[in-house]
Amino acid sequence: MQNVVLQSPVAFAQTSLKPEMGFINGMAIVNRYSDPDVESRHAATLAICDVSCLTRFAIKGPAATDSLKAKGIELPGSANSWSRHDATLVMRLGNSEFLLEDPIGVQQCKELTEQLQSGDGVHVVLRNDASFILSGELLEELLAQVCAINLSGPMLADNQLAMTSIAGVSVVVLRQEVAGQSLLRLWCDGTFGVYLWETLLNIIKELGGGPVGINQFFNSN
Amino acid sequence: MKLLQCPVNGIRPVSEFTYGGEYREMPDPDTCSDKEWAGYVHYRHGAPGLKKEWWYHGPSGTWFIAERNTLTDKVSRTYLYGQENKA
Repeated sequence: MQNVVLQSPVAFAQTSLKPEMGFINGMAIVNRYSDPDVESRHAATLAICDVSCLTRFAIKGPAATDSLKAKGIELPGSANSWSRHDATLVMRLGNSEFLLEDPIGVQQCKELTEQLQSGDGVHVVLRNDASFILSGELLEELLAQVCAINLSGPMLADNQLAMTSIAGVSVVVLRQEVAGQSLLRLWCDGTFGVYLWETLLNIIKELGGGPVGINQFFNSN
Repeated sequence: MKLLQCPVNGIRPVSEFTYGGEYREMPDPDTCSDKEWAGYVHYRHGAPGLKKEWWYHGPSGTWFIAERNTLTDKVSRTYLYGQENKA
């Protein structure tokens, strides 16, 4: 049997940038696009990073809460908020809908995928999302051009998350600290990934930023 | 920018919402007359006024009811289906 190498939903938009590739969770992902110093400058000014390779697990249905609790997962108390279970990001997208995402090296989502199946009152949802990190001091200027609501205020404070539209694409967005940097995390349907990546990257370049590889925030191999 | 209150996600631009048609009580198909059923299927009341409508918030997948005056386009309140009497 051949080994399957997964592609990021936005891989098609990245190849022309001639990036240095790596592999995380079986997916080919961009390690870096340019010199680390240049990428660090971009990350501080304004940058977009593709992290679609992070493992996700999603579940919904009236028994979803109990199924996750039975596995010992600590859940956020209310809809539209997020928390951490150990290092795993747990997002509560509704009263009975959850999306979990592991950082690199954590196996929680993989274990849940193996242990939980759709059945009475639960539906395991396949999430082939395009997932991005947006960082930099000019974030608000970028969002002002593509998002109709103000995400810089209390909307994303206190572990809140928002489901809204960015450049016309439905997204889940939250504010997070990664490697000591305050940044935005963003998930959208994978099929919109290339459009959203190109739209955001065009504006980011106009504002003096650029794309950064996953090495800026995580270590791949 | 026009804004609409989603009962789950709060105030959002109306571009994130889709209109789902007027909310109408369905007569019991087992007991109602053919005339009542045909009226429910085929007739719509187009006169402007205060109406209950289905609306959908796309990014979160939330269907809800909005009470909207279709003459003035003012939305008086929004709520999830079945939660009309909740504060």
